[in-house]
Amino acid sequence: MPKVRLTSGVELEFDSQANLLDALEQAKQPMNYQCREGFCGACRCTLVSGSIRYLYEPLAFVRKGEFLPCCSVPDSDIDIELP
Amino acid sequence: MAYTTFNRTINDQMKEPMFFGNPVNVSRYDQQKYPIFEKLIEKQLSFFWRPEEIDVSKDRIDYQNLPEHEKHIFISNLKYQTLLDSVQGRSPNVALLPLVSIPELETWIETWAFSETIHSRSYTHIVRNISSEPHKVFDDIMLNENIMERADDVTRYYDELIDSFNLYNLCGAGSHTVNGETKSVSLRDLKKKLYLCLLSVNVLEAIRFYVSFACSFAFAERELMEGNAKIIRLIARDEALHLTGTQHMLNILAAGEDDPEMGEIAKECQQDAIAIFQKAAEQEKAWAAYLFKDGSMIGLNKDILCQYVEYITNIRMQAIGLKSIYSTTQNPIPWINAWLVSDNVQVAPQEAEISSYLVGQIDNQVDTDEFDDFDL
Ligand code: FES
Ligand SMILES: [Fe+2]
Ligand SMILES: [Fe+2]
Repeated sequence: MPKVRLTSGVELEFDSQANLLDALEQAKQPMNYQCREGFCGACRCTLVSGSIRYLYEPLAFVRKGEFLPCCSVPDSDIDIELP
Repeated sequence: MAYTTFNRTINDQMKEPMFFGNPVNVSRYDQQKYPIFEKLIEKQLSFFWRPEEIDVSKDRIDYQNLPEHEKHIFISNLKYQTLLDSVQGRSPNVALLPLVSIPELETWIETWAFSETIHSRSYTHIVRNISSEPHKVFDDIMLNENIMERADDVTRYYDELIDSFNLYNLCGAGSHTVNGETKSVSLRDLKKKLYLCLLSVNVLEAIRFYVSFACSFAFAERELMEGNAKIIRLIARDEALHLTGTQHMLNILAAGEDDPEMGEIAKECQQDAIAIFQKAAEQEKAWAAYLFKDGSMIGLNKDILCQYVEYITNIRMQAIGLKSIYSTTQNPIPWINAWLVSDNVQVAPQEAEISSYLVGQIDNQVDTDEFDDFDL
């Protein structure tokens, strides 16, 4: 089970959640979201280290170093920063 | 080069910049410089909806029972949205199509603007239902100072771009005297006008709509005006996609690979960009004050709404690589997210309503004397 570490110090395990947004919400993190389908970009977070995998190709613009938790899962242990 | 509806120059569309290259000749999608625009087109088409499919009949009764200050909030927002979509239904076509050089972007712009015309038609659907005198609602838009003040900023960048491009198209770069007025145009200046215009569109779709969205959903949280809320959800889903389209354009331009001069202009315009965001956010906060001048509504007041404006302004600025300008970091109305989620926003078939005439759908719920002043 990949670990998800936040810059705030919070740490969680990713197990059977559908995507990272669900996992972060379960861990009571204040998440931004709108579409939950990768097209609005509202959920953007920064990927500090590790890698994620998209479940499908998102339409939203993603800048370098950012990712969309609503349509991705961790591919390794990851460190992320919420906006 | 001067605009033509079918450019005879044989060109490689894959080498054209997004804007200000050769006008598009063949609308072809077998090769695409920016496949994202076709994906946006497909998504937008998959979102297709018709206002007539949404049953708004219960809203009429809800509206009649609202206290006056809540009626003011509801109807003012509807008027403001009507203004915004009137502009958006035509301006991307008129201002941007003559400048575009790649077919998938050209078609995205047309698809985008088309969806705005659905929004416009949906306002008439809503207003016809809640008011027996819909003309009064629409007539007031042009007379309402608070709305007209916003219209200036919403349209200014489009109009300046159109105006300059017309002159450039006709006379080329340089200083020209037309009707006694001397104006100078250059390609660089046009590019700057385009960049500012896209920023202002981004602000329109990313911030200006959201005060109104929040109020609509606050009514619906109380199970009021739910037909309206259903329509607003569909509109919000479309707007989130439009926003993404514009963010892609802005980010591609700013990266400078598409057109190095555009990259420079984007850097040069940083301060203008911040100012455009800030001004819009302040105007929206003033709008919140106007909405709540006679009283707040349950679940929302001016201060909460102002914080929300600051919060989304920050998010939208970060999305295009600008630093946020407000200290607000938390969403003061997190319940709004559930309304903005796009899943299950589809209209259930049993709720679909086929008649385009609203009298048909309300006649068994309202006493006949209600129709005395109902003119069709
Ligand atoms: S919530 Fe829309 S992209 Fe993630
Ligand atoms: Fe719209
Ligand atoms: Fe839009």
